Amino acid sequence: MNAKGIVSGLLGSLLLCGCKIDQPELGGPLANLTPDQRAQFQEGKRIFQRVFEPKDGLGPLFNSVSCAECHEDPVVGGVGDEVEIHASRFTEPDSCDLLLQEGGPVIQQDATPLLRALGILKEQVPANATQARRSTPAIFGFGLVDSIPEATVLSYEDPNDANGDGISGRASRTIDGRVGRFGRKAAVATLFDFNAGALPFEQGITTPLSPVEETINGKPVPPETDPAPDPEVSLEDLQKLDAFVRFLAAPPRSSPDTYEEKALVKRGEELFASLKCSVCHIPKLKTGPNPIKALDRQTVELYSDLLVHDMGPELADICVGDTRPAEFRTELLMGLRFREQFLHDGSAKSVKDAIERHGGEGSRSRDKFKGLSDADKKALLKFLQTL
Amino acid sequence: MKSKSIFIAAVLALGLALGAHAAEADQLKSDLIGQTMGGRENAWKFQSTDQIKALTIQKKDEDLKKRVYKVALELQAAKDTPRYAAEAQVEYTRTGTGWKIHHVGLLSLRRMK
Repeated sequence: MNAKGIVSGLLGSLLLCGCKIDQPELGGPLANLTPDQRAQFQEGKRIFQRVFEPKDGLGPLFNSVSCAECHEDPVVGGVGDEVEIHASRFTEPDSCDLLLQEGGPVIQQDATPLLRALGILKEQVPANATQARRSTPAIFGFGLVDSIPEATVLSYEDPNDANGDGISGRASRTIDGRVGRFGRKAAVATLFDFNAGALPFEQGITTPLSPVEETINGKPVPPETDPAPDPEVSLEDLQKLDAFVRFLAAPPRSSPDTYEEKALVKRGEELFASLKCSVCHIPKLKTGPNPIKALDRQTVELYSDLLVHDMGPELADICVGDTRPAEFRTELLMGLRFREQFLHDGSAKSVKDAIERHGGEGSRSRDKFKGLSDADKKALLKFLQTL
Repeated sequence: MKSKSIFIAAVLALGLALGAHAAEADQLKSDLIGQTMGGRENAWKFQSTDQIKALTIQKKDEDLKKRVYKVALELQAAKDTPRYAAEAQVEYTRTGTGWKIHHVGLLSLRRMK
């Protein structure tokens, strides 16, 4: 046997045994991290899983006692069945009030015993505000998403639909003018900003960057309900937490088992492109130059353009920053097969339902999907089950 | 004559104090560039001094290792975008070469009319 034959044989053996070359496991760290970065990942994972109690700074208002309480399925960093309440107040034509004087856009649904003793069980949606439901996404591969250059995101903008395809995505801008990409409304610019805000908003944990407690609908928390000194976590712990999320590997794709399934998935992938789903759910983007080797010029199969699109009045809920009620960031489809609820609010119970509820800029693709034969619908859904 | 001298000295002292205060505020503005305060939708990254429309030092505390300012800010990302009023806590640590900004905490944020 010559050298070529030996290599082919080895590759064939790997494929037959189902092994993947250099494929990180679900919930594991990115490949090519240094030992120091892997240690940061592990330390950060401990903070991600840490269950906070009131004496540690939990609350007094909160949604969850740990990050991993929500991001848990099928492994730490995955999806959760929790659905949060967010709110804001929109005034035509484009003014968005994030309720900053009324407790902010995240309406915490739980309270510590000390606050409950005062009769406050949760935060209320302020009067005249619109409320929205938000499902818990998986956060696998978010470090890679964070590393996609801003210029790449902007290159896909077509705010006036110059090419006439009915799709006019635009980049969301944060309050400080940066391009947003995280959150269902893309109102957060970086992964670090997202992680830094998760502790105070979701767990009521103050940090050096947010050293005062969230208010209760604008009223300061009664001091006797908040025994832990501020900040309740250190900057170092926040950075470790960020390292865990940043270094979480993207979920591996599932491989079809049989020749028939492979053909079905291939057909589904072709349909995904021909129905123009892939215009917004762009299959792959590339990260930019990055001092961290594992994030440097890597291909990310995120299935999103990270832009916001008008999804029609049926799905419209709240504004956030400069993103209007009907606009949503193209949902990332990586890890789709692990979800049990779909759309931004978790109201769709199947992928098919979610596709059929696309409106606005997604209407043309939705209508084409509805017009497919049952066999082609099956193929498209089978393809999506591999993500 | 004597009261006139005292008055002139007082005016000079006040002028020097105000000048020093303005210089300290300008140094703060410069040091803030590259820092981020808050998180999620409330995160503000200081990208240029042009975005800091006003900075007023409200309080300054210092010990051997740490210097903490409480400042009031008016922030605007760009022309024709909303202006925000913020209060922030700016913390410096002493290094071998002097004071170095360590982090900025967002105390409050509101959109101005």
